[in-house]
Amino acid sequence: ETEIKLANNTNKKIRGMALPRTCINLSRLTSTSDKICMRLSSFASTQTAKEKWDLLSAVCLERKPVIARNLLPIEKEVLSMAQKMEYRLSLKSDHEIQLEKDRERQERIKQGDADDSDMDQASLNSAQDFEDASVEELSKFPFADRITEADKEKDQKSLDRMLDRHLLLVVRQKLGTSSVWILPQGQRQEGETMRQAAERVLAESFDGKVQSRFLGNAPCGFYKYKYPKHIREQDGNSIGAKVFFFKAHVTSDSPLKKGSCIEDFAWLGRDELDSYLPEKYRKSVTEFLIDED
Amino acid sequence: MILVNIFSSRRTFIFTSFKENMIGIRRFIQPLLGFHTSAVQCAEPMKKKKKMDPSIIRHREQRKMKRIERSIRKLERVERPLKPLDETQIPLSLKYEIPIRQRQLQPISQDIELSQRELLVAWSHHKQKEAERDLACIRKLLDAQGKALKELKLESEELYIEATQLDLSLLPYKAVGPTRTPQIKGYDPPDGDYIDVSRKWE
Repeated sequence: ETEIKLANNTNKKIRGMALPRTCINLSRLTSTSDKICMRLSSFASTQTAKEKWDLLSAVCLERKPVIARNLLPIEKEVLSMAQKMEYRLSLKSDHEIQLEKDRERQERIKQGDADDSDMDQASLNSAQDFEDASVEELSKFPFADRITEADKEKDQKSLDRMLDRHLLLVVRQKLGTSSVWILPQGQRQEGETMRQAAERVLAESFDGKVQSRFLGNAPCGFYKYKYPKHIREQDGNSIGAKVFFFKAHVTSDSPLKKGSCIEDFAWLGRDELDSYLPEKYRKSVTEFLIDED
Repeated sequence: MILVNIFSSRRTFIFTSFKENMIGIRRFIQPLLGFHTSAVQCAEPMKKKKKMDPSIIRHREQRKMKRIERSIRKLERVERPLKPLDETQIPLSLKYEIPIRQRQLQPISQDIELSQRELLVAWSHHKQKEAERDLACIRKLLDAQGKALKELKLESEELYIEATQLDLSLLPYKAVGPTRTPQIKGYDPPDGDYIDVSRKWE
């Protein structure tokens, strides 16, 4: 325990490039062979060769919302109020002036005070006709539905579902003996950075290229778990795995085809994660996901 | 004594009893006294203007007018290029149309005004809570990232340095915001596609 405490202290000192002092501090407890080990090993790996963790990269691939959410009741009220105030403060547009003139002309024609110019103008298309035609065109325009077929069928492999919410990619992978629903993860290989490992994991999980955009080189979240005892006890094996998550946006809406590394995949909304992800894992994952009401 | 006004054109002389003696001298001095030089002109005296034939003058004027009119018509025939939107100005005629365009509306009743004020208060509360939630979410995301980077640093300094490198491919970042309805699959616009050909000065 004391060793670990010192290691934590020295971590702060190393930030100020104080390597000789750390060596002196630790020399009280570590043997000569360990000291040599320390000096030969990389600059700030203060975790001495006692605890070995596997470094894993995971991908947090999301489809961002495509359409805006429906308005809340208060938002609707404020919108209508704002529109009324806007109307009061505005000046009349050319179209409105034209409507008024047409109305006056109609009145004059009814009363019988019309002159020749009025009769000429009356034969042209009036502003009211134009407005009616425009309104009709808008009502007839085939807008795409906000609730798609995928929503109705609850097809969890489709990207067309829940267009006003985030969709997170979750896969079923075999870890040890059991299959779990997790974010796609894989171990980092030699010569890779963590982000490159994440990109490789995504490429290997699916057939064909997944059009994605990774957001930066830094991980967005962290989760660690220990392996079962019988694996830990074996020589040369690590204690457990440290998973570093990397955020990415999926840029195309073409459906994915599952690769050989995974058993199954699904695109899930925030409220569906409870039933798929393990409890502790889900808590760590929701730490780096944007909240949705 | 002689007082001579040498500047007047009509030379008036006042002289005394030496009148007869002065007459001879007078005849000699007069032109000398009246002699003056003008400033150096460096010019010729004006030439005499010859009178032009009025019909020729008229003909010349007509030709000039015709040439000017022809050039005006040519310029008018060419399509005037449209001004870029950034350079458009509010037409001055609107300034004089304001009285015509003002709306004559009944003033808002007290009840409606009160309800509007209450609604705005409720709205400000709602927006404040929304802002607080957004900030809390951002803080949570940053904390999660900070923890992850800390753990990575504990594991390996090299990987940490790689993780903290700037990703220049991210900038400039462009995102198309969410719309009211989703895209219509395979939509063929009846007016055709809009291709922006406006010139950019950068």
